[in-house]
Amino acid sequence: MSSDRTYDVIIVGGGHAGSEAAAAAARLGARTLLITPDLARVGQMSCNPAIGGIAKGVVAREVDALGGIMGRATDAARIQFRMLNRSKGPAVWSPRAQCDRELYPFGVRRALDEVPGLFLHEDMVTGLLMQDGRVTGVRTGGGEFRAEAVVVTAGTFLRGRIHIGSDASVGAGRVGEAPSVELAQELEARGLEIARFKTGTPPRIDGRSVDFTRTERQDGDPQDFRFSSYVRESIPEQRPCWITWTGEGLREVVERNLDRSALFGGEISGRGPRYCPSIEDKIVRFPDAARHQVFLEPEGLESTELYVNGLSTSLPAEVQVEFLHTVPGLERVEVTRVGYAIEYDYFPPHQLRHTLEVRAFPGLYFAGQINGTTGYEEAAGQGLMAGANAALRVLGRSPFVLERDEAYIGVLIDDLITKGTDEPYRLFTSRAEFRLLLRQDNASRRLGPRAREIGLLTERQNEALEILEERDLRVQRWFVETVIEPADANPLLGQCGSSPVRQPVRASELLKRPEVPASGLAHAGGAMFDPSTDTDAVAAVEIEIKYEGYVRREAERARSLRRQADFELPDDLPYEDLLSISSEAREKMARVRPSTLAQAGRIPGVSPADLQSLILEVRRWRRKEACFT
Amino acid sequence: MTDEASSRLPELAVDTIAALATSPGVGAIALVRMSGPEAFEVLRALTPGEDDPAPRTATLRSLTKGEGGDLLDRALVTSFPRPESYTGEDMVEISCHGGWLVPRMILDACVATGARLAEPGEFTRRAVLHGKMDLVQAEAVLDLIEGRSKAQHDAALFQVERGLSRRIGELREQLVTVEAYLAHHIDFPEEDEAPVTVDRVADAADALRDALEELLETAPEGELLREGAVTVLAGPPNSGKSSLYNALLGEERAIVTDIPGTTRDALEAVISIGGFPFRLVDTAGLRDSDDQVEELGVEVARRYLDRADLVLFCVESQADLGSAELEFLTGLGDVPTVLLRTKVDLTPRDRVSGPLTSEGLAAEGLDDGHRVNAADVRESVDLSVVDGTGLGRLKEILPELVYGGLVRTGTSVPALTRARQSEAVQKARDQVVAFIEALEEGTPVAVASALLRPAETALEELLGLISTDEILDRVFREFCIGK
Repeated sequence: MSSDRTYDVIIVGGGHAGSEAAAAAARLGARTLLITPDLARVGQMSCNPAIGGIAKGVVAREVDALGGIMGRATDAARIQFRMLNRSKGPAVWSPRAQCDRELYPFGVRRALDEVPGLFLHEDMVTGLLMQDGRVTGVRTGGGEFRAEAVVVTAGTFLRGRIHIGSDASVGAGRVGEAPSVELAQELEARGLEIARFKTGTPPRIDGRSVDFTRTERQDGDPQDFRFSSYVRESIPEQRPCWITWTGEGLREVVERNLDRSALFGGEISGRGPRYCPSIEDKIVRFPDAARHQVFLEPEGLESTELYVNGLSTSLPAEVQVEFLHTVPGLERVEVTRVGYAIEYDYFPPHQLRHTLEVRAFPGLYFAGQINGTTGYEEAAGQGLMAGANAALRVLGRSPFVLERDEAYIGVLIDDLITKGTDEPYRLFTSRAEFRLLLRQDNASRRLGPRAREIGLLTERQNEALEILEERDLRVQRWFVETVIEPADANPLLGQCGSSPVRQPVRASELLKRPEVPASGLAHAGGAMFDPSTDTDAVAAVEIEIKYEGYVRREAERARSLRRQADFELPDDLPYEDLLSISSEAREKMARVRPSTLAQAGRIPGVSPADLQSLILEVRRWRRKEACFT
Repeated sequence: MTDEASSRLPELAVDTIAALATSPGVGAIALVRMSGPEAFEVLRALTPGEDDPAPRTATLRSLTKGEGGDLLDRALVTSFPRPESYTGEDMVEISCHGGWLVPRMILDACVATGARLAEPGEFTRRAVLHGKMDLVQAEAVLDLIEGRSKAQHDAALFQVERGLSRRIGELREQLVTVEAYLAHHIDFPEEDEAPVTVDRVADAADALRDALEELLETAPEGELLREGAVTVLAGPPNSGKSSLYNALLGEERAIVTDIPGTTRDALEAVISIGGFPFRLVDTAGLRDSDDQVEELGVEVARRYLDRADLVLFCVESQADLGSAELEFLTGLGDVPTVLLRTKVDLTPRDRVSGPLTSEGLAAEGLDDGHRVNAADVRESVDLSVVDGTGLGRLKEILPELVYGGLVRTGTSVPALTRARQSEAVQKARDQVVAFIEALEEGTPVAVASALLRPAETALEELLGLISTDEILDRVFREFCIGK
């Protein structure tokens, strides 16, 4: 906090969205203040101790490629790493890391402290300062702070309420932390639409009371994978996870106590995520499943606690203990923290622009769970974009928006704004039309140059990016230019079950055979690079040469959609008056106010016929406007 | 999208259109209808001083040409406020006296007070624009109006009632299922409790391919339903072609229609046989001048043969098949052909030769070499238009020969009746097959899945949009997701 209490950008909240927002704004040169009720909990992992996973892992790498914190904090904290989807081809490889719950926030805090022009302050924000409909700062318990742009990343704190069983419920943003009630009330009073979601966490247990002989050990991948393309953190010692299964005993306990669940007893009204169901949900919705998988995940190197992934619940504490004791390996387990459900306010995200600015209040930005998403990675991606755009606005520069064919972050934000969400939103690869283009291996190649161009990268990151670009080029060129002799190629081809060659042949030609891997060719051809460390570059070549036709077609499809995106829709188009469009489409478009024809086409309920009419209406409207002015 | 592209799009439905819905000419009643935002205003202008009629209630009104104007007619007027109308817009229907004059005057009055004359098909186009029906239904409306046979009528009505749309919708559902399996396969890790295997994805894709192909098989017959199967009468001079033409026409006189735009060198008529449309072409007296056929003495016009779905080859029952006829039959290739032994009333019973199918010809040693085997002579009928011998039998076999599938299933089944429809389904099928082949070659599922997008687009073009939310909904309904 400085004496005049005036900044360019203020970030409210210090979670995954808030920390990325603050760092991005400051990196762009805005004087930035991050305010959070408890500075000791900046970057905390409030749910499971893991970063990444399918689609999410790509987002973590995108955040990193844009100069963000998440990638390097994960590298510095990961105690088990797995590349998911390895059997399904490099196009959908998805890195996931179990993290040490202490080391991760430590890494975040260290990264924040490195950024010049970023200030931290501990306080609870209770309201916004507004003037003529524009945001001018925030009010806290301790006074007022001024800024032209404010990014709110309140997570589950807005009127958060925790339920442990149907009897006990308490207002809280996380266990042991007070909710933010006044800020929620003020935003609602100012006319923003507000709704409620719920989510849950599982219990945590003391690892010393687990009989691991009755569980299955799951080790991580041996490989030295890194989420960060730019910064090389040292990776901690690795730890295994453990797998066990629920059975009939657990079913019996849960069924007998269903009426004591906050989720089923009617105490919670909001919708929860279907992809992260509570154990009550699983038992009720899938009565035929004999068993459900349970992962015991280490909380940290210095911790004996384990996170019981798969058993999130809102049953009373004693029922949690009872059902845990039915699970193989957990018969005598000690519960250290009980699972709970939390419900919280969010703002249906159709109220935002693609910059994550609130349409009704220039200068106010929302990012993270407050927009109805779930997941650290989704929060971080939004935080980075909101922080960057808040800074760009204050600096008088043009906004920074990622399209759906550029990044999962682009898919995420466009989905939120265009389609809205009626359950906590998480990313899946299926949400992306161009998943062959949006890969984890090419995150820095896709987004690094964009980040460099607008100034999101530090000097050190810029240098690292240049080295990466050279490396990518070198690997690519090797495959295109290298000719391999039959004597070198045939042993490999034999191993892969591929037919031998008689003439010298280009590496790229052999790579086109589905069964021949790029790394094997690099060895056989005596490449000067090391495929085990240049994994990204080799994976990229593997996809882009082997499946060249597929990638090219996808890129062409992206280009043709871009043309639709070039048809801009006026912000003040009077949708209610456009009678040639179906009433359903008119209503939906008036709510979302799409900025391009392409976006309009993605709104559920808008048909191709509506789009055709829309084009004509817009042209007509423009002619009319031209006559009046 | 560029401005050039958008300028090709249909004109906007913000004005009010009016048209005579019944055919012009003498008749007891005619129907004038209007659609658009001004429809009720125009009606008020024609019925000054009167209240608006209650919605969807036929109401007697005096129509005048504006305030104090001359009385045009006393007519039944019905209003249909949007969106519960055919087009989805405000609509008015005026049932007035028929004939040349009255409807014309009312239509003129509508135009004078704010409506404009509708383009052909514009009411239905507006119905599509407002989501009252999909494109497939709209096409069927046209077929229903233009229908010339019972089979076409049944098929069109089935489509208007969404029969085909529903089937395409089901295929799309099946595609969504494949994509849901794919989504589950890719979006949930191997370590999860119940992974979807590649085999399961492939099985679902196989089932989808089979279903698409089954629908595609209806296309040849379905498309003939609209145009009528081109049925060419061919044979030597005086073999009885024209008599047969007239006999077939005479019995079906109610549905005889001249086909506009055909050349004057052949007689053409669409007739209904067994409820199925046949476009009968009599080439009597015609010889194709630049063709061997002339030398061979067979009367036929080559350009009709190229389009023929069926050939009725007439030979006098007394005459033997000469080399000319055999040559001609051979040249037909795989066009289904019926051999008609005409004028059997003039021929003593014992002189009529046996069945003249390809096999029959071969058996009788008439197969000159193996040439006749190249022709597809399906049936042979002994015929006399004088005493009616064989006519019944001919009419029995014709629908079976051309519309065999539809004869067996009935016409109230989903069938593709337009090239636009079969092209879209064919494209979807081709993409699904490419996807299956890519999987067989070992292409990773996530890569091959890119091939399914165009299949989606093809079915979307027939019906509407697909959303990934739908795929994920399916995933969450059918799978229990762990970590």
